[in-house]
Amino acid sequence: MSSYNVEIVTPIREIKLGDVSYLRCPGLDGSFGVMRNHREGIFALSVGEVKVTQNGKDEYFATSGGFAEILNDSVKLLVESLERSNEIDADRANKSFERAQERRIKQDSELNETRIEASLVRALNRLRISKR
Amino acid sequence: MANLKDIRDRIKSVKSIQKVTKAMKMVAAAKMRKAQERMEQARPYSNSLSDIIQNILPDVDRDMLPLLDMREIKRKAYVIVCADRGLAGAFNTNLLKIAQREIDEFGKDNVDLFCVGKKARDHFTYRNYNVIESHVDFWAEMEFENAMMIGRSIIDHFISGSVDEIHVVYNYFVNIGQQEVRSETLLPLSYDTNEATGSDRLYEPSKEELVNTLIPRHLNVQMWKYLLESYASEQAARMLSMENATSNAQDMIKDLTLQFNKARQAAITTEMLEIVGGAEALG
Repeated sequence: MSSYNVEIVTPIREIKLGDVSYLRCPGLDGSFGVMRNHREGIFALSVGEVKVTQNGKDEYFATSGGFAEILNDSVKLLVESLERSNEIDADRANKSFERAQERRIKQDSELNETRIEASLVRALNRLRISKR
Repeated sequence: MANLKDIRDRIKSVKSIQKVTKAMKMVAAAKMRKAQERMEQARPYSNSLSDIIQNILPDVDRDMLPLLDMREIKRKAYVIVCADRGLAGAFNTNLLKIAQREIDEFGKDNVDLFCVGKKARDHFTYRNYNVIESHVDFWAEMEFENAMMIGRSIIDHFISGSVDEIHVVYNYFVNIGQQEVRSETLLPLSYDTNEATGSDRLYEPSKEELVNTLIPRHLNVQMWKYLLESYASEQAARMLSMENATSNAQDMIKDLTLQFNKARQAAITTEMLEIVGGAEALG
């Protein structure tokens, strides 16, 4: 009935999800939800969590940003990285979080501040979603 | 006539070299297959991204975007993508030769170089070219992050106005037996200037901002593609040259064995003649 297909494309893999009834994406100005017959458009996504409701079950993904192309009866997510909540390597996320924090304290001049900030946000996001 | 021991030693050393080249061939074949797989996987993403860009670009004002800025070309940057290691036939030499010719044509003082791969870095630093950045030692565990890092520094270099055009020289993977050195212009981005589509799609945030974030991503993907193409080409070239080396070694072993047998036979004959001669003398 009111379900549609979602296609998630990253540079290293492609995930196809059918029968999605609800999709929540991290837009630049806050999360937004997509249901069937959403208005067509292209939306930029920021670092955050993608929630997919499929046959009444929820799934969570961590993403580091990208785009959502919403068409009449399907949605295509173009994201640079995507990890299902149970696929996230929490140890690795923890390590990159610590590394980023260290760099912020040390004020590593090689890397500029926005980059450090960005990696911190990404690591935090992955950590949070891995606990879902 | 070479003596028997010398020939035997040579056969032994050729055989052990052959073992190495055979192993290298096998390793290269496995790596190439992996790289090819990754190339396939990257394709849908880069295609969808280009589709979106081609759809939006006609609707935006070119002047708004620094990455589309067409300036008079006074300075160029070249991104040279080659390998960390040799033993891959003419893979590195061909590319470096072509790149160097192109750079010299424009004038080497007006070219900044981004070198990917040790061979490129060593070649150009040794000849006192203006190498401003090099990326080495990542091929074995190449990730999309590497492409992003390179992409970011290239974009920064272009936006800061240091250069007016950015080229990439890399090996394009035609098929296993054939790689092609290609030189492409990466920035400023070119696109079809067809008419505005005038669709009533929703763009969030504005079209201009979208394009501003789309293009760097597009460039990262381009960079990723270049890396993958180059890596697959490198492995293919190495596989082929090691294949040749192995069969050359086989030929050499054959020749040497023949020589060895001849020498051995000659030695036996002389020995027998000596015995016969000795027996006759005693007669």
